[in-house]
Amino acid sequence: MTDTDNQRARLRSDVAVAARVVPTHYPLETFIAVNPLAGLEGMPFEQAIRRAGDLYGIRGVLDEAAFRRFYRDGRITDDDLDRALVRRFPNLLSSDELRLGDRVVSPLEFLRADLLHGTPQAGRGIGTPQAGRQILTRAAEHAPAVDDTVDAQTSKWCAAFFGDAAWAMPGRENGFYSAWRALAAGDRSLPRDVRKQLRLAAERPDDAALEAISRLGINDDTRAAYLQAHLTRMPGWAAHIQWSAAHGGGIDLVGYLAMRLSYESALLARHADSRGRQRHGFAAPNADVGSARERATHLIEVWGLHDVDDRQLATAARVLTAMPVTSRAMLWQNAFESHYRDDLLAQLGPGSRPAVPAPVHAQVVTCIDTRSEGLRRRLESLGGYETLGFAGFFAVAIRYTGLLRGASEDLCPVLIAPNHDITENPVPNGAGAAARRVSGATRLAGAESAFHAAKESFAAPFTLAEAAGWIAAPLAAVKTMAPALSGAVRRRLRDAVVPAAPTAINLAAMPEAEQVLFAQIALTTMGLTRGFSRLVVLCAHGSTTENNPYQAALDCGACGGQAGAPNARTAVAILNRPEVRTALESLGIEIPADTWFVAAQHDTAADRVTVLDTHVIPDSHRDDLARLERDVTRAGGALAAERCDTLPGASGRLSAARATRHVAGRSADWAQVYPEWGLAGNAAFLVAPREVSRGIDLRRRVFLHSYDPEIDTDGAALEIILTAPLVVAQWINCQYYFSTVSPQVFGAGTKTIHNVVGKAGVIAGHTGDLQIGLPWQSVSDGQTLRHEPMRLLAVVQAPLDRIEAIIDRNPILQELFGNDWLALAARDNAEQPWNRWTRTGWRLWSESRSRPMILDEEMVS
Amino acid sequence: MNSTSLTRMIKIEVVVSGSEAPAVRELIQSIGATGYTSLSGVSGLGHGGYHQGRLLFNQQAALELIITVVPESRTEALLAGLRPLLDASSGVMFVTETFVSRPEYFS
Repeated sequence: MTDTDNQRARLRSDVAVAARVVPTHYPLETFIAVNPLAGLEGMPFEQAIRRAGDLYGIRGVLDEAAFRRFYRDGRITDDDLDRALVRRFPNLLSSDELRLGDRVVSPLEFLRADLLHGTPQAGRGIGTPQAGRQILTRAAEHAPAVDDTVDAQTSKWCAAFFGDAAWAMPGRENGFYSAWRALAAGDRSLPRDVRKQLRLAAERPDDAALEAISRLGINDDTRAAYLQAHLTRMPGWAAHIQWSAAHGGGIDLVGYLAMRLSYESALLARHADSRGRQRHGFAAPNADVGSARERATHLIEVWGLHDVDDRQLATAARVLTAMPVTSRAMLWQNAFESHYRDDLLAQLGPGSRPAVPAPVHAQVVTCIDTRSEGLRRRLESLGGYETLGFAGFFAVAIRYTGLLRGASEDLCPVLIAPNHDITENPVPNGAGAAARRVSGATRLAGAESAFHAAKESFAAPFTLAEAAGWIAAPLAAVKTMAPALSGAVRRRLRDAVVPAAPTAINLAAMPEAEQVLFAQIALTTMGLTRGFSRLVVLCAHGSTTENNPYQAALDCGACGGQAGAPNARTAVAILNRPEVRTALESLGIEIPADTWFVAAQHDTAADRVTVLDTHVIPDSHRDDLARLERDVTRAGGALAAERCDTLPGASGRLSAARATRHVAGRSADWAQVYPEWGLAGNAAFLVAPREVSRGIDLRRRVFLHSYDPEIDTDGAALEIILTAPLVVAQWINCQYYFSTVSPQVFGAGTKTIHNVVGKAGVIAGHTGDLQIGLPWQSVSDGQTLRHEPMRLLAVVQAPLDRIEAIIDRNPILQELFGNDWLALAARDNAEQPWNRWTRTGWRLWSESRSRPMILDEEMVS
Repeated sequence: MNSTSLTRMIKIEVVVSGSEAPAVRELIQSIGATGYTSLSGVSGLGHGGYHQGRLLFNQQAALELIITVVPESRTEALLAGLRPLLDASSGVMFVTETFVSRPEYFS
């Protein structure tokens, strides 16, 4: 081993360290929400968004104008602002009053006035409208045009590598760097000397990167930071490459950086002074931040005060010094969140609610997804239903292969790897129907494949237009003008070509002991170990939309961004097995003989609930099934009408029947950019028995996880809930948050100009970065924000010492709660008031002066 | 120890969080190590306090132990790469002398 080997290893390590700030990204077909700033969760939230501002040039929080609009709309009140201020500056309440001319005001009132009327100022940091990237490449410092060229080349080659165009990138099979190296020097759009330099790029990507770094004059100590400057230029591509590297994609970040650095060093060689200085810190912040004295003067003018002398002005300015302009937006954010949280907790008690009125003829277990809250509420209102919430993979982490075979799907949270290979097989005596279904699907897939291949090949489109244009054009017109009709016709045609076939889940790959273990964990964690009704429905969810690259974002996150029907079917198949029930009895869980588990799936775009595998439901439960199917249709209609109130283009208040037709039409409309709102609005995660929230309209903003502390005596179930579903919900929350507050970097822009790049993702227009977040149409209707960006509040009803012990032994929870990425409210039981978790212990929620987090310059003098 | 039948090698054990483990594994492979052993869901007490072992539905937040055995000639490069990686995280590394009976498996 040589010094070169050490250098290569060190470089690889620096790349890994630098890449910690790169967002996590999943390809389109398994797109799930993640926190784009997960790499910064080791920092307090406020510090992390400052850091993200330096890295990406983002603000990380809404601007003050948006918060002031919320204030005018009553979504933030003076009380909310005062509490936020007192939490940040606890000694405000004991500070002397200010005299300004003939008016006497409290320091609290004066700071509130600055929040309400202060002039927004430019500068570095959060809350400022012109926050700028501070960690820069050498090209960005000395020759911004070079930086743009490096980005353009990056986008071009990445799109070529990941795209699935008819003409593949030559040499792609040899890996990205090798293919790029063979082609780059032939790019005539580059100057001759640059091409000559690229021709000399080393055969190994790590050597090429080291050579370029050396030419750029970057030393070892600052190399990781410099690599970070490159990785954050186009975070989408970097994120996707990081994902691809872990999945054998023929590309990794070392090769990607080697390409970028090679371009940069070759292009900068034409700029004589580019090696001159190496900056180690931040660019000088924009000093255009109003002085405290100017801010005080502005407020005095706003209030129309006269005769304010210099001494009074100086005193007032000193008060404002405590609250830099850059901290104002975060104070608004805290007030905004407090308003919602205080209201929610007030609705949730204290005080007991009555149990479900008997008789309960069905228990329905849905995903914790916020959209399920509406379905549960509507179903419960019909009477006779008890509902529960559980992660939508129902605790069976499976790799699933359907009847049509083809590629298997990992149906489980991305936090874990699937444990079992589960297949869908024909039922006994169903082989003939299954064969017809497989044959029809094969023919249909072949026809679709031939059609698309013809469209994309060189000459065939002309022939295709002659041969199929007469039918394709009218079909396209019908799909556009009458999407609901077109959808129904296509569904019928498809059903005719690919007839349904009765199938069953094959559990052979899952040993019986593991089936029993699964059943025990699932039932215990959801708090359902007694009082089983005749039907227990495990209701998964998925979303049917047309022409939507972000389909997976609307499916079940707990199933890896896919519909969860196979998980529900698997769980039901296990729970209906007599052998499993016998084993459960010995564990203290007695499922009555007349209890039958049923799988279902909620289509969240059309609000249609389909009961699955009805052919295996025994005759004894046919009446129960009929009632269930009737009631889920009614509940779905009512939910559709509720949702239509907020869907753009849904006119006025619709009846359930009209709303059902309307959402079905949207679901089948290939031009619809707002098929549904997904999880927009998510703001809280409730872990408690349903009694705590039953009858309250939570407006589809709350994840609901059932939990019964009396069943979970050792806290194992609560630990699962807090370390897995809550973590995934926090990712979802952060994805929506950052897609809303920083759409340029962490959103996906407007859907209307999206171009899909293979299976990787989308780009806006024909070039640029891969878009990693949610489209603007997922969080806004163009006029107002449909997602109100606020951090998630976890609300837990369980013994406080049990929660504390779980946090103590799980660093991930200490980080999320301790650094304010999540807030936690809890109480021992329904009779107790809510408490706030802080690093220094539990405090009553109603206490304003709980744990102020005071950062750097914001100490009150 | 009968050194005539065994060959001296260097064993490197690294404990990092599940989310950091891919970078360590990639580094091990990049310096030419022929393999490694991973144990996910390890628990223990360290300067960061007690770390819970297997989390039922979260493998990323659990700790992982990665063991590799390399000839001494590869050790320096591996350590050069591991040090900055561990400096920036809460992981630990142990380097010990070990002996193997089939050296061709490791070089």
